[in-house]
Amino acid sequence: MRRGTALLLLAPAVLLIAALLGAPLAWLVRFSVHEGQVGVAPAGALTLAHYAKALGDGFYLEVFARTLGMALVITLVSAVVSYPLAHFMWQAPRRWRAALTILALSPLLVSIVVSSYGWMVILGDQGVVNRALLATGLASRPVKLMYTDLAIVVGLVHIVMPFMTLSILAALERIDPLLGEAAATLGAPRWRILWHVTLPLALPGIAAGTTIVFSLAISSYVTPAVLGPSGSNFITTLIWQQFTQLMNWSFGSALAALLLALSLAVVFGYVRLLTAAGVFGGPGRGAA
Amino acid sequence: MTALHRLVVALVAAFILAPIVVVVAVSLTDSPIPEFPPRGLTLRWYAHALSEDVFTTSALNSLWLATIATALATPLALAAAYGLVRGRFRGRDAIQTLLLAPLVVPSLVIGLAILLAFSGMGVRDVGARLVGAHVLITFPYMVRTILASLARLDPAVEEVARTLGASALRCFVLVTLPLVRPGVVAGMLFAFIVSFDNVSLSLFLTNARTNTLPIAILNYVEYNFDPSVAAISTMLVAFSLGAALLVERLVGLRRVVGG
Repeated sequence: MRRGTALLLLAPAVLLIAALLGAPLAWLVRFSVHEGQVGVAPAGALTLAHYAKALGDGFYLEVFARTLGMALVITLVSAVVSYPLAHFMWQAPRRWRAALTILALSPLLVSIVVSSYGWMVILGDQGVVNRALLATGLASRPVKLMYTDLAIVVGLVHIVMPFMTLSILAALERIDPLLGEAAATLGAPRWRILWHVTLPLALPGIAAGTTIVFSLAISSYVTPAVLGPSGSNFITTLIWQQFTQLMNWSFGSALAALLLALSLAVVFGYVRLLTAAGVFGGPGRGAA
Repeated sequence: MTALHRLVVALVAAFILAPIVVVVAVSLTDSPIPEFPPRGLTLRWYAHALSEDVFTTSALNSLWLATIATALATPLALAAAYGLVRGRFRGRDAIQTLLLAPLVVPSLVIGLAILLAFSGMGVRDVGARLVGAHVLITFPYMVRTILASLARLDPAVEEVARTLGASALRCFVLVTLPLVRPGVVAGMLFAFIVSFDNVSLSLFLTNARTNTLPIAILNYVEYNFDPSVAAISTMLVAFSLGAALLVERLVGLRRVVGG
């Protein structure tokens, strides 16, 4: 194919991204460096005050730190929960493949409003868990589970799991099956094969999954808003509040731009860091 | 596979399925509040949900939106993927990264940016900004699926057609397209689900009068707790899982989702 033809084929798509992603993001950044707004347009002098406020005020820094901390917990838990499933999918007979794939991906295929509603029914004061706790006498009154950080972790781990599971599975599938057999022949017990052969080779997958999951977690809005404590306790809920309740579009835009920078830094920076550290082995690139 | 591993996997599977199973079960309960396990069995919440205007109107909106977004994204993605796979030019990787960028930018940021930019241009039509946002978010999944299908296609097949005198267009329509059709159809189905289920973009772009189904569900749950939400959710789940099964049959879901 001639170069001109290829570029012509790509032009509409590039224009689409430029018009619906590039230009709106530029407009958002423009908002963030203006003092304020008149109507729906940025107005006033150019300023970096909104960024200074977001990065200098203890309250906002605390929300950033809280979000990052929660994302870290969610990433760790999802890696621990996803690994056994990925390992199982890797070893399972071929005819189970379709069913297991649908199972592993189901959180992604079901709208987040549906799973959130499900968690509300499970974690509520009158919910499944509390009724079981009361019935078995493990608790004498309902334990508060809904509208807590725990509910956010549960809801988000559920949603991000498919990405972690698939990343780990992709890495496991690249392992030469003879390696495990060789280790077994040489007398290594199962746990040693897992610890010394399989896990190290699954590391690139875990690393790639970590990147995706972490950036999804810091930028999630629906789960913290629906299942979490009230008030602005996540970067995203804080941004939402700036736009819908306080009508402070410029400051909200600055927060949104910071969130964008943070998640791009995670996705691109982390992969580069891991590649440099040799996690991805050879000249290959991260799956993200 | 040890017994311990099986047990752990069973627990993980239970965790994955828990919210979905609970929603389906609750939709059948005969009590006025969501109860699990359900007390008695009834389909009246389905009748109730289908008689609620908020659900039926918004479901129709969602169907329209997903159809239009998919229809617009498909030709763009097909052309772009073909250009990427067959073209040889510098900056190919950069363009590919750019085309997949909507997956990397947080949806909340995309939603806000589109809301601000469209308002700034004086476009206040909810439909226009919803279509714009949904085309943007469904497009990368289609590019990825079609790229995967094209990559598995032997370029020799096309070369033969060209050598025998077929024009580039004829070769594409009569040779390439039929061979990648499963990939294109799978990409379209997945794009449809992504649009139909989307919350995080639509949340910013809908308003009180024009809604999508997931947003209507979200709003309904805020003030009502009756099991009709579970009924409408179950229908949504059945719809999405049905489409997903088709995608799995056609090309395999993993090719679409990536990872």
